[in-house]
Amino acid sequence: MKLGILIFRNLRRNLLRSILTSLGTVVLVFVVTLVWSILAFLQAATEEKTRNLKAIVTERWSIPSRLPFSYAATLAEGAARSPQDVRPLDSMNWQFYGGTVDPEKISRESLIYAIASDPRKIPTMLDGLESLPPDQEEQLRKDVEKLAATRQGVIVGRNHLTALNKRIGDRFKLFGISTYMGIDLEFEIVGAFPPGRYDGLAAFNSDYYLNELDAYARRNNGRKHPLAEHSLNLVWLKLADTDAFNRVAEQIESSPSFNSPAVKCETAASGIASFLDAFRDLIWGMRWLLAPACVATLSLIIANAISISIRERRLELAVLKVLGFRPWQILTLVLGESVLLGSLSGLASAVATYAAVNWWMQGLKFPIAFFDAFFIPSDAMVWGFCVGAAASLAGSFLPAWSACRVKVADVFSKVA
Amino acid sequence: MVLKLVIAATALVMMLLAVTKVPLRYNARNVAVRWKTTAMTALAFTVVIGLLTVMLGFVNGMYQLTLHSGQPGNVIVLSDRATDEVVSNLLPTDVGDLERQPGILRDGDRPMASRETYFVVNQPLRNARAGRPGRRFVQVRGLDDPELSARVHGLEMLPGGQWFSSAGVREAADAGDPRQRELVEAVLGEGVAGELGRDRDPATAASWRRPDRLDVGDTFPLGGRTWVVAGVLNSGGSTFNSEVWAKRSLMGGMFGKDTYTSLVCRTADAESARKLKEFFTTQYRKSSVLAQVETDYYESLSNTNKQFLYAIAFVTAVMAIGGAFGVMNTMFAAISQRIRDIGVLRLLGYRRRQILVSFLLESLIIALVGGLAGCALGYLANGLSATSIVNAGPGGGKSVVLRLIIDARILGVGFLLAIAMGLLGGLIPSLSAMRLKPLESLR
Repeated sequence: MKLGILIFRNLRRNLLRSILTSLGTVVLVFVVTLVWSILAFLQAATEEKTRNLKAIVTERWSIPSRLPFSYAATLAEGAARSPQDVRPLDSMNWQFYGGTVDPEKISRESLIYAIASDPRKIPTMLDGLESLPPDQEEQLRKDVEKLAATRQGVIVGRNHLTALNKRIGDRFKLFGISTYMGIDLEFEIVGAFPPGRYDGLAAFNSDYYLNELDAYARRNNGRKHPLAEHSLNLVWLKLADTDAFNRVAEQIESSPSFNSPAVKCETAASGIASFLDAFRDLIWGMRWLLAPACVATLSLIIANAISISIRERRLELAVLKVLGFRPWQILTLVLGESVLLGSLSGLASAVATYAAVNWWMQGLKFPIAFFDAFFIPSDAMVWGFCVGAAASLAGSFLPAWSACRVKVADVFSKVA
Repeated sequence: MVLKLVIAATALVMMLLAVTKVPLRYNARNVAVRWKTTAMTALAFTVVIGLLTVMLGFVNGMYQLTLHSGQPGNVIVLSDRATDEVVSNLLPTDVGDLERQPGILRDGDRPMASRETYFVVNQPLRNARAGRPGRRFVQVRGLDDPELSARVHGLEMLPGGQWFSSAGVREAADAGDPRQRELVEAVLGEGVAGELGRDRDPATAASWRRPDRLDVGDTFPLGGRTWVVAGVLNSGGSTFNSEVWAKRSLMGGMFGKDTYTSLVCRTADAESARKLKEFFTTQYRKSSVLAQVETDYYESLSNTNKQFLYAIAFVTAVMAIGGAFGVMNTMFAAISQRIRDIGVLRLLGYRRRQILVSFLLESLIIALVGGLAGCALGYLANGLSATSIVNAGPGGGKSVVLRLIIDARILGVGFLLAIAMGLLGGLIPSLSAMRLKPLESLR
């Protein structure tokens, strides 16, 4: 107890040094928290699940995947051919559409990439939307109902609302770009995705898209749009467990219905990992260079501060020894000061980062593959505390060791 | 710009040296006496600056890659409103008409225009290393005439290689399985040859022609067929380094795309290229196309670079602030130990600003030592290869193999940041030293 009081008093004694060390810890733990949050999210996205997992069916060889829409119904059943075959728990078709509100000047702000699908699948099949807070879940349910009832309706992400300067209820027109040229769609905004992962997405009715593909042929003397026969991009399947996935994947990949083009079925984690592979060196650098460099710098700053403090307090440490303090108690005293300062500063930094990124910034905008923004997990509080504590422990151990080995006779002979 | 700033920073240091009357030896000795603290502070600088140079070397490598991929005299034509090659769609009839337009150089009776179809293909990895996904994306460029395309792009074959044949396939000499008897001929960029070579079965190492990459005659699986390397391109430093070139007519059937994605036209020079681009944009009416001077097209692919650059600038700024707090600690401690020295100096007639400069120089010495060590450490990463993606925005992108380039400009940025951290960290303690009153200091 007395040792604890002494630790607090020592930290308050040179308040400037404590504040500077604490500020150094706060900014460096801030970087570590950001980096680890991104890495933790990517890790979770690429980690294979054993239960309640999602599979993704795409074209076997080509990127982007383009499948005939006629594949959809059979794939939704997991290509089950007999009653004994396994069927998915749920499924969702994705048909991509890309358009711009300004065909004369295509820019990042004017572009929208949307998915055409069955609206009722949005709450159950889009990752993260099945576990929303009650108010957001209720709002999404209402928006999805409106979308299902509005043929030209669209639910958009917050980024698009801001970029287009539109509000719910407004209308806008998208002019097809790239392979979607010739398909121009008019939309009414019926809702917005909850803030976060889907800020850069838009979703609309598959029926509307298919009708417009048919209408293209009518407008062009029967000449079909190049995408008319390949408008389905991918199919998501929800499966009970790994065993069900393996059986469904085998059913799909061996099915004679999917020969031209051939398809492949993989877990969502595996699909995401493939897309992230191009960023592997960047991710390696974040994991093994950036984060360790921050922790190393932090340790050095703390080591420096504690070394200075020990040098200034050699006389005091000698007096403590004379008063009967054992070396381990002095070691604990010095380590306690450092660890207390480091862990509390780390915790404060993580809490501040969590609040700033999740509530104020609405996510850390660092697009990697198809992830637009990252959020700080609540685990970050533990990381912040532990990183601060560990870095300060590592940085202060040698100075603390030298403090507990202070020789009383040496110190007093110099004073004399 | 960076050079000018480095000169300005050096001039600032020289000016400070001129202003101070306190001998530099005094500061140097004090730094040496407190060598442990000094070393630790300098080491923090080393880590921050070393990391900065490596990160900037990565972005610089990406910039150089996009900079050197295009020819100033080339015009790349995509379909209208195409955001990337992979989603472009040009009909063969359109391509035939486009390449006959005036302004395009001719090679005898042939226009100097490269007809291309760009594919991204899944390649399952049979020998995927632990922690790696089970497949990778391989970029395949289907070409009608590879030799002409190489000339248009200014690329050459490495010795020992040859262009793929007009059929695009050759018979395997020793294939037992009839399905594998016909090998698809391919010309590889050096980068992708290295990537594909890395996933070979180590058990077959004895038969490898080169340990670091695939070479002429080596085979690899892709799209359900076996491919044979006909040649390797001398393509280092361009995005073609990461591509597999093969016969377009063959690729169309294999990967389901019969149209072209781009037409690259060679003109006499950069000015002619601008004129041709303007012609296609404003006067050409037979089909709707998007024409860009090739260098502009590749510059537009540097969007990812900017994103990384901003992230690096942010991270570096935050780390620099952290490092500056460390310097402040060191300098405040140095001042508190030398309060009497400061009093004596003031009584000897040194002015306040000279005391300020003296302590500022001390923090700059630490910063410079640490910063230069950091630059040297970071420079060790120069030339290392890394993978990344370049793109112009959502809806496309190219996987690339690049080399980290740490040049004088980046070392200059590291040097400047070290000076800035030293100034930032040393200024407030130096101001506090300057404001000490002589008699109070000696009391």
